[in-house]
Amino acid sequence: TSISASSKPGADPASLQTEQRARSMMRERFLRCLISMANKKIQFHMYEKVKVDATFGASDIDVLNFQVSDLQTPIGVQTEALIRCQDVISYSFDM
Amino acid sequence: MYTTSAWRQQTPRDWEHYVNKQVRVTAHGQQQHRGWLHTVDPVTASVVLVQLGESAGGCSVSVVMGHAVEQVEVVGEADEETAMRLSSLFRSEELEARGGE
Repeated sequence: TSISASSKPGADPASLQTEQRARSMMRERFLRCLISMANKKIQFHMYEKVKVDATFGASDIDVLNFQVSDLQTPIGVQTEALIRCQDVISYSFDM
Repeated sequence: MYTTSAWRQQTPRDWEHYVNKQVRVTAHGQQQHRGWLHTVDPVTASVVLVQLGESAGGCSVSVVMGHAVEQVEVVGEADEETAMRLSSLFRSEELEARGGE
């Protein structure tokens, strides 16, 4: 994953600033959401209609992998696991 | 309404337009998710949706990964109170965890 470039080079500084402000506000909200997931029970919806539950640990900064514990797979419980984010469609949890 | 397979190619300002709106997101396999849009991660384009409970406390959160987003439709606008709840959502938790410093 790469951070998409800001508007075309040479864009006026004012609009660049608005864009950066929007980007940082939304990234901060997203990171706070990730923090609040730590140690929570998360349900992952994956491709091929697979649904698994696990306790969330952490994510790497690019959000490429999730580290989870007690991953409940159809063939048993995996104590520690990494989930590739590419394989996930969505995930949900309660606050 | 907004249809695109290029959700990830939008600019942060396009995404910001959806913040605090009630939306319906269609993900891969026609999975539908509905809720208040809390934020879009500008790095992965993942969408954080919140379903607010009756009480001030409880709510559930679903996150649709950016690569799986197929369609995002706005279905409602937040009133002031809802917008406030959405903005403070993950902040109070963090303060509690750190002992309310």
